Amino acid sequence: MQQEKKFKRSDEPIWWGLFSGGGVCFAVFLPSVILFYGLLLPLGVVTLEYQQASAWFFSFWGLVFVGAVIALPAFHSLHRIRHALYDLKFQQKALIKWLTMGFAALLSAACMLIWLVGLL
Amino acid sequence: MSYRPTLTRTWWLKNNAFKAYMLRELTALPLLFFLLCLAIGLYSLGQGEQQWQHWQTVMQNPLVLLINAVAFAASLFHAWTFFQLFPRVMPIRLGGTTVPAAALVAGQWAGVVSVFALVAWLFWG
Repeated sequence: MQQEKKFKRSDEPIWWGLFSGGGVCFAVFLPSVILFYGLLLPLGVVTLEYQQASAWFFSFWGLVFVGAVIALPAFHSLHRIRHALYDLKFQQKALIKWLTMGFAALLSAACMLIWLVGLL
Repeated sequence: MSYRPTLTRTWWLKNNAFKAYMLRELTALPLLFFLLCLAIGLYSLGQGEQQWQHWQTVMQNPLVLLINAVAFAASLFHAWTFFQLFPRVMPIRLGGTTVPAAALVAGQWAGVVSVFALVAWLFWG
């Protein structure tokens, strides 16, 4: 008699896909974004007025910004933290997965909510 | 006695290649810090002009600036290693010949420079 096997579809391709997309964003977008918003702006080398920043962010471009500069890099970063914790031999794999991927999802959702609220 | 092989938490300290791997993995931490800063900045932007100014003041904190400087270096280090990976994972063939890896790496750095030019134009243009 043919034995019936049940295969459970793995969700890992989703996390590796987000990791990989985030890796591209981290490498291509983040150097400039960190340089301008994290260093040059606080140091006073460049200025960004509230009106200008608000008008730019609470438009279509804000959503692109959230996706490419926050959400994907967040999944990339937390995927690596997840696997680094595995590498450091932490055994609670399911819990670590929920905490890291949950954190990335929450951060992304929060930023999209901020964008949506500001847009309306 | 168990015959299951066990690794200690510090296995990676035994070899320089493993240490380099862990250092690379570590670049995820300052990145996450910057992303949190940025998310708080977006929240402040939504709250009004006063909050926006306040966020900029917080970003001037020397410790925050230091971690973000590390994040900037980490992003370049990540780019440097990541770009070398691409031609190995996805070699591109054009007209029967494989595009040289160096050209693909250079193309990706050109991408970084164009994003830099775009952001610079947004600020200074």
